[in-house]
Amino acid sequence: MRYSLSQSTKTALEDSPLVQDQIAGALEMLFGTPQNPGFQRTAQWIEDDFDPNHPASAADDGGSGELTEAQWEAVRADNARRFSEQLARVERGEYAGLASFRAAPELAASVDSILSDSDLSDADRRSSLKSLFEGYYPSLRDSAEMYRQECLHCHGVEGGGDGPTAGPAEHPFLDPRPRDYRLGKFKFTAVKDKARPRREDIYRVLDQGVYGTAMPSFRRFSAAERWGLVDYVRLLAIRGEVEGRLASEFVEEEHLSAESQIEIYQEIWEKWGEAKSKVVTFEGEIPEPTPAMLARGKELFHDAAKGNCASCHGDGGLGDGPSAWKIDDDGKKVSAYLDDWGQPILPRNLVRGLYRGGRRPIDIYRRIYAGINGGPMPALGESKDAAGNPLLSSDDMWSLVHYVRSLSERDEAVAGAPHAEPSSGEANEHGHGGSGGN
Amino acid sequence: MRFLLTLLFLALLVLGVWTFLDAHNHGWWLPPNLSTYGHDIDRLFYWILWMVGFFFVLTEGILIWCVFAYSKKRDTKAQYTHGNHRLEMLWTAIPGAMLLFITFTQMGAWATIKFKSSFPDVEPIAEVWASQFDWRIVYPGPDAKIGTMDDIESPFEFVVPVGQPVRFNLRSRDVIHSFFVPYLRIKQDAMPGMVIPVWFQAERTGSFDLVCAELCGWGHYKMAGRLKVLSQPDYEAWLKGARQEMFSNGSEDKP
Repeated sequence: MRYSLSQSTKTALEDSPLVQDQIAGALEMLFGTPQNPGFQRTAQWIEDDFDPNHPASAADDGGSGELTEAQWEAVRADNARRFSEQLARVERGEYAGLASFRAAPELAASVDSILSDSDLSDADRRSSLKSLFEGYYPSLRDSAEMYRQECLHCHGVEGGGDGPTAGPAEHPFLDPRPRDYRLGKFKFTAVKDKARPRREDIYRVLDQGVYGTAMPSFRRFSAAERWGLVDYVRLLAIRGEVEGRLASEFVEEEHLSAESQIEIYQEIWEKWGEAKSKVVTFEGEIPEPTPAMLARGKELFHDAAKGNCASCHGDGGLGDGPSAWKIDDDGKKVSAYLDDWGQPILPRNLVRGLYRGGRRPIDIYRRIYAGINGGPMPALGESKDAAGNPLLSSDDMWSLVHYVRSLSERDEAVAGAPHAEPSSGEANEHGHGGSGGN
Repeated sequence: MRFLLTLLFLALLVLGVWTFLDAHNHGWWLPPNLSTYGHDIDRLFYWILWMVGFFFVLTEGILIWCVFAYSKKRDTKAQYTHGNHRLEMLWTAIPGAMLLFITFTQMGAWATIKFKSSFPDVEPIAEVWASQFDWRIVYPGPDAKIGTMDDIESPFEFVVPVGQPVRFNLRSRDVIHSFFVPYLRIKQDAMPGMVIPVWFQAERTGSFDLVCAELCGWGHYKMAGRLKVLSQPDYEAWLKGARQEMFSNGSEDKP
């Protein structure tokens, strides 16, 4: 099995089948095959002992050191849960069938090799198995297998969003379509300037799902498995981006040298590395939503010179603003914008309260601050007005966030049990209002 | 041939009975019960299983005897009978009585679990939203109302305190789903447009599978969740952590 070139590459290089072969070969050299994926290490990386194929090992110790201490702790704790059955069996010395893992061929092979090593004493065998399970971090090969079993049917072999469940391009089964990773663009991240996503951003999507779409939360996988999938998705995305750049390089230069291939590869890798410095955070406590703030937010939402949200999201936030739609040649009302994947895109209906990038205030803040990569949602956080002053102050930003969140408050809000918070005296008063199912 | 058929049916009988008697030794049986009312469900299940089992053995025994005794080779002449009124009355009345027995014994359990009037007097702890293809649990914030800005949302994981009645509202965003926690012995359909109250009380802590039990689309098999039963202090700590995470300023993302 091999990765195929994307339709756009094939179209761009229709007349040069040899160049198509060259690019396919170069990509296979740089990223391997679906059965055996992995980043090719450049001379510099080998010298520095840096290897992006092992994010869990330190950067100068044969890895890329991208897993923080806390993340690694969480992985180990989750492994103890994930492999609790295996660990209990190791403890009891029951080894039969211990090496059967549906989606981790390398883990299975490691277990097999420990079991078949006749030089080991039983105590050594137990401790090696124990540390193997407890410290498991999937290799790209294991993650590729996991991807094939769990993700491929929507996202496709190359991450083109063209798996069988996505349906044929002309009448897709899913709306929205599964993400095509190959542009390197991910919509729901914590970074600004349309930077590439951090590994944590992709992890969060796996953790939380993209609510309102066919992408569910994948918390049923262990933390290690999810980090592994992040690694593999990143490999597919970088592979796709390199592919696109190689094709356009040839179209521009009518020539594609080995040096420029490596240059493009490194350049795109570095672009992915930039993300860490682009995180949008907020210093201090999030201000509480007061009526004055909500009123201010409403004002900014409608102010064409400030937030200008209503032009797309509509006066009531229903996603029916005048700029979002147009009348096409057949007189039909259609979406005014296409996203970077060439699909019609509509503004979110904010009243439904289904926020794809998460419903935390900081998530909405990041959407407004940095925009949504790949779509027409603009970045307002660092915009300047005509006079060169910041368009929105930090208070303005939070007023907008709170106003947007308040749009999805339900009139039929039902009473719930008062919780651990100390304000339960007040809570009890509300608690006996319209109880039960309405 | 007669012996062969007799043996075949006998083997079926023995295998069937053995399966039920031995299944729990192999983990093929019901998962351990977790909820207070689950004991009633299990008791009913065993009542019905024993009844059905008794009649299975009885009818299967008669069948085997008939196969053995009335084979073609024996060539006994068939006898015409107009039936036996008494016998017919008997085999109508006995199953009838048994059905009535089942009807009346299960009513209490059904009422406890499903009748709103017999629900424990507690406020809903959360709203459980089913959608294609995941579970999302919305907890109220300090204002104790669900559907407001201070709600906490937890995908996948339904966290509840142990040893006290937990009531929640089940809702669906799109199609019919079904909330099923085999350990709790509870299964309740979620209907789009309806708010369905459900309650249970978990007897011990742990993590348990929550699945969708109504074919809801292509991703039905993926629609898994987890019920996490925590002690009261752990539950409160979790809620506090979830609240902090919900209203974080993103500083944990700083490099």
